Amino acid sequence: MALTWQPLGHIFDPTEHDLPMGCIDFAQAPQALVLTDRIRVFFSMRQKDTLTTYLSHIGSVDFSLDWRSILNVANQEIIPLGQTGTFGEHGIFPMNVFQHSGEIYGFTTGWSRRVSVPAESAIGLSISKDSGMTFERVGQGPILSATLNEPFLIADGCGLSHDGLVHMWYLFGQRWKLGSESKQPERVYKIGHATSSDLLTWSRTGTAIIPDRIDSDECQALPTVFSADGRFHMIFCYRPYEGFRTGGENGYRLGYAASKDLIHWSRDDPAGGIDFPNSEWDSKMRCYPNVVNVKGQYFLLYNGNDFGRRGFGLAQLDM
Amino acid sequence: MNPLAWRRLGHVFSAESVLDHDWIKSGAQSPAALVLSDRVRVFFCSRGIPESDGQVVSRLFFLDLDPQDLTKVISVSPGPIAPLGGLGSFDEFGMNPLSVIEVDGEVRIYYAGWTRCTSVRFNAAIGVMVSHDSGDTFHRVGPGPVLGFGLDEPFLLGSPRVRHFDGVWYMWYVAGKRWLTSGDRSEPVYKLRMAVSNDGYNWKREGRDIIDSVLGPLECQASGEVFVHQGRYHMLFSYRGALDYKTGHQQYRMGHAVSDNLTNWTREDANTGFGPSGTGWDSESVSYPNIFRVDGFTHMFYQGNGTGATGFGLAQLDSQNGGS
Repeated sequence: MALTWQPLGHIFDPTEHDLPMGCIDFAQAPQALVLTDRIRVFFSMRQKDTLTTYLSHIGSVDFSLDWRSILNVANQEIIPLGQTGTFGEHGIFPMNVFQHSGEIYGFTTGWSRRVSVPAESAIGLSISKDSGMTFERVGQGPILSATLNEPFLIADGCGLSHDGLVHMWYLFGQRWKLGSESKQPERVYKIGHATSSDLLTWSRTGTAIIPDRIDSDECQALPTVFSADGRFHMIFCYRPYEGFRTGGENGYRLGYAASKDLIHWSRDDPAGGIDFPNSEWDSKMRCYPNVVNVKGQYFLLYNGNDFGRRGFGLAQLDM
Repeated sequence: MNPLAWRRLGHVFSAESVLDHDWIKSGAQSPAALVLSDRVRVFFCSRGIPESDGQVVSRLFFLDLDPQDLTKVISVSPGPIAPLGGLGSFDEFGMNPLSVIEVDGEVRIYYAGWTRCTSVRFNAAIGVMVSHDSGDTFHRVGPGPVLGFGLDEPFLLGSPRVRHFDGVWYMWYVAGKRWLTSGDRSEPVYKLRMAVSNDGYNWKREGRDIIDSVLGPLECQASGEVFVHQGRYHMLFSYRGALDYKTGHQQYRMGHAVSDNLTNWTREDANTGFGPSGTGWDSESVSYPNIFRVDGFTHMFYQGNGTGATGFGLAQLDSQNGGS
């Protein structure tokens, strides 16, 4: 049975708020943490580093449980960037937050610049000891990094605690490929799967688990997995490997897959109901989805045009 | 115990040995012996002419030695044994150093692959290649590293030495601890670590620095070469200061440790029995030991001055003084 989402609109525009660390634009990859009296949404915001480069920092905004009011925008640093020469030195984007065994954890994607290609990434673990206000990194290195068959660009971890195991869906790079017109390095990445009982050591499938819809160069990113109606659902975003930056036909759009066992996924984008009507703010692309359960209702957070330069919006699942 | 007693057999190879070679132009580093039925093949690293960006990169080569005289080179591979890694790969900008091992008829090379960064100069991770024709040709097992960054090993994994004892694969390797800034140049501090494996591909890390530092927290350690001698496990390795190590007293020198279980090591540098010669190609610095046995004798390749800028030579453990 197909899912149906009702768009609730553009709910956060970073340019309307004071952000810490000199960040003015972007609220990318919204990731929700449901607390007793509020929903805290973490996002990545950008600090201008040089004329042409940014550092991504994690910010947060608190919403009332009905999403109608913004209660607070964090004015402090939530998690510091990585040390020089390590995987998070040039940015954290995104930070997926989840609860497991009574603790609040974050999977951070840390970025570090390279010479021949723009960047390399890996996934780190962080933990909050103040109910989700700030996070401390566990170790200076990553918990999930490149391996023999997942050679670079490990990113976008999404955690789900289920039956005593923690599952993580994430993306891994398959190849860097020069753009047909730009001649610049463009990345090709797919969604992978790993499980762990201690969050530190991971057993990885080592293969792409979601079939391509465009072609073998399709890039798939930021999976979010939730359980509803006796099945597991995954929403992610995907695009062609080049020509995607201005949005439109080749821009990021949302994809969907369903599973009964968290292992085998059948891709069926139309069944995800994610082609709900758009507005001006998400007319050219939709990306970086995150589904959250608030008191039995499912909400989809996602970015619109320009990869979330003007923040994120919300949709609600018809039950 | 008594110090190890080494007898120098001579200088074996340098880039100057093959002046007309298309690829080998600068240095001959990290010698690694593969003892075949009819010869000893030595893999090594060298740098070629500058690339299109003006920088040089390190690649892997081999040479074959006269079985009657292991200081005499018979032939040198005409080109590198493998291309560098592709765009964005961990080994796109160099392969150096390496370790070679044969287990059950399959030859593997473990190597450090290099990439270039913008904040610091470089990063490295460990790759693996396999040969099914006794070390003539190699192919990568996968495009990524076999040992990549971990929770407390956040950057610079290199200098792998892989050995096989009693059915278990062991890797001694280097892990970066911190980056220092010296003028406008970044310099890493790194220490020896180890991991074990049942197949040489899936590694379980010991997760600690395994060799005490005698130069303090900034001591850099590399090339942990482990061998059996007189019923104990011995490790020869290289260590140096973190800064100003190109010349003078902070250069690489040999360290030594012993163990009864391959995991816990006691440092005993006084028993290394091997230092700079005082004259010639290995007068100032010796490093990157590679131990192998042939004809019943324990031999050691090692690189000389300038971290192998002068190439490498051979020594033999003296059987008259506790060697065999």
